[in-house]
Amino acid sequence: MMSLWDTAGGQTVTVTTLDAGLDQAVSSRLREMGLDNGLPVLCLRRGPFNGALVVAIADCVYSLEQKVASKIRVKPL
Amino acid sequence: MKRIILVGKPNSGKSLLFNQLTGLRQKVANFPGVTVELKSGRFDQYQLVDFPGAYSMSTLTRDEDIAVEKINQALLDQDTSLIICNLDATRLQSSLMFGMQMQALAHQYGKALVFALNMIDEVTRFGHQIDVAGLSRDLGAPVFALSAKTLDGIAEFKTAVIQLAAEADSSNLNTVALPPLDYSVQVKQSRLLATQYGMPSSVVLKKQNAIDAFMLNNVSGGIAFLLVMFLLFQSIFTFATPLMDAVENAIGVSASFITDLTGPGMLADFLNDALFGGLGSFLVFVPQIMVLTLIIGVLEDSGYLARAALICHRPLSYFGLSGRSFIPYLSAHACAIPAILAARTIESPRKRLITMLTVPLMSCSARLPVYALLVAVLIPDTRYLGGIVNLQGVAFFGLYLFGIVTALLVSLLLSRSAVTDNEKSDMPFILELPSYRFPHWKPLIHRVLSSAKQFIYRAGPVIFAVSLGIWLLGYFPTSAGGLEDSYLGVIGQWIEPIFEPLGLDWRYGVAILMSFLAREVFVGALGTLFGIDGADENIAGLAANIQADGLTFGAGMGILLFYVVALQCVATVATLKAETGSARLVGALVFGYGMLAYLLAMLCAQFL
Repeated sequence: MMSLWDTAGGQTVTVTTLDAGLDQAVSSRLREMGLDNGLPVLCLRRGPFNGALVVAIADCVYSLEQKVASKIRVKPL
Repeated sequence: MKRIILVGKPNSGKSLLFNQLTGLRQKVANFPGVTVELKSGRFDQYQLVDFPGAYSMSTLTRDEDIAVEKINQALLDQDTSLIICNLDATRLQSSLMFGMQMQALAHQYGKALVFALNMIDEVTRFGHQIDVAGLSRDLGAPVFALSAKTLDGIAEFKTAVIQLAAEADSSNLNTVALPPLDYSVQVKQSRLLATQYGMPSSVVLKKQNAIDAFMLNNVSGGIAFLLVMFLLFQSIFTFATPLMDAVENAIGVSASFITDLTGPGMLADFLNDALFGGLGSFLVFVPQIMVLTLIIGVLEDSGYLARAALICHRPLSYFGLSGRSFIPYLSAHACAIPAILAARTIESPRKRLITMLTVPLMSCSARLPVYALLVAVLIPDTRYLGGIVNLQGVAFFGLYLFGIVTALLVSLLLSRSAVTDNEKSDMPFILELPSYRFPHWKPLIHRVLSSAKQFIYRAGPVIFAVSLGIWLLGYFPTSAGGLEDSYLGVIGQWIEPIFEPLGLDWRYGVAILMSFLAREVFVGALGTLFGIDGADENIAGLAANIQADGLTFGAGMGILLFYVVALQCVATVATLKAETGSARLVGALVFGYGMLAYLLAMLCAQFL
């Protein structure tokens, strides 16, 4: 299944699940940020030098590194 | 005194609201036990306390742990009358996420809470309106729309806060302990309210995303980053020069005016050599510290610092660091102590430890006087490209770069060593990119002035004491016999063998040893030593004196590299010990950096 790390710049996806392997505190923060089941995420760009991903979630822009973005399962909108 | 506390998420205009409510009559204190900067100021008959910003009550980083713990303590405190929760009106969802958790917590502790719906001017500018009465009704708490920037609604808010606090003081709110909170309810509720009352996110983020398209682009973003960093270091030299000249002239005029009044003798010698020569030669560098603080402040307040952290994440991760390490690294160029504390925002304990241990290798402002003096001695003042590029500025940049490269190499070594082996508890890199904003000048100028004040207050007494001590030891038993026959001369001869391999005579040895108290002492000590030597009583000529005295290029470069690497600051060592909790680790660090510094200085002296 596709992860948030696999999305292209400009693509909007919907969150399906957060991997069980994620730390409890991290999952709960991600949910608070809006990375929750059924909610949309817009991938703004791949980070500079293939670094962290830049995504718009609700009214904020965040950058997430591969380690966490690859554990967020998404599907194309 | 009864207290009102101000809370909110970071980058939500909270500090500006605090400034408007207290009118900059504020003082900075630390939480007892842990060093967290806590600003407080007088607001009517209350003490208003600005708490560090937090994203959530469930924490990820050390700084959030401390902030939440302290908020809980404040809520338990009988003297806390009211909580002001600052919301960013343009980003209602993320603000309410924290705000509603805070509201639930305040309810649990039986404390009154009011919401300040800040940045309402921006909402109006976007052509949107928020139904404040409806939001207040749905939240079940008073909400006031205001702008701390344009002052819209501030007067009404002040009146309301005083009234609400007085009501809370006179009433006995329910203080029965409630069961622990289920934050998931707040999360869902905040989303619903934000959808109902907030602005569409596409409107809010449009400008920010357009600028980011340039700033985070692989090519243009990289060039912009390098340009910003280069200009930062150049400006320390270019912009500060007229101010430094002014300070230097003022000290020179004062010195000759006062010594003319006293006439020749021991007092005049003391004033000239110890006071103006020692303390004065260090005061000259205060403008550079102010320029550095100003630029870092502008970068932080404009929102660029978060982008810089993102740009650096990938390169820094090769050295076992996080993109967030960039912020402590950059602020360490002003002072290592706040930088070590800023490392608390780093999500991973391991990366936080590596950052803290390598932060002292960044060239802090205390090294600035040493660099400025020796660069002036060793490098010609040649300018290129119409004066924009100054060869001395390039040398400065090189020294800063040397510190950064050394820090990265040490990080790489540490990340592969067992000292920091707790990968399992690593937290991932999650960083909010705030809106770009024009910095608000008043608090920025306040920050710049207080940086200068703190620098003078912290180092001034030490430098004065050292200057006085050196002067006394150098002046007696008799000033007629010359410096070499003085007590200082004798001590200097004892320690000379240590500094001989570095190509330095005993005067530099004394100055280096003294500067283990604080690095700035080096310039003051040399000022006093060369002053007593009588080559030139004008402190402006210290660099010329050292040049005339025949310091070789290799030995001079050796001193410079020694100062880049050696950990010579008592306050930094104490902070590191408190933050790492290990005296042994910090002791090993001081020794390791000391040995490396000595070795580098010796290689320079032998081979350059």
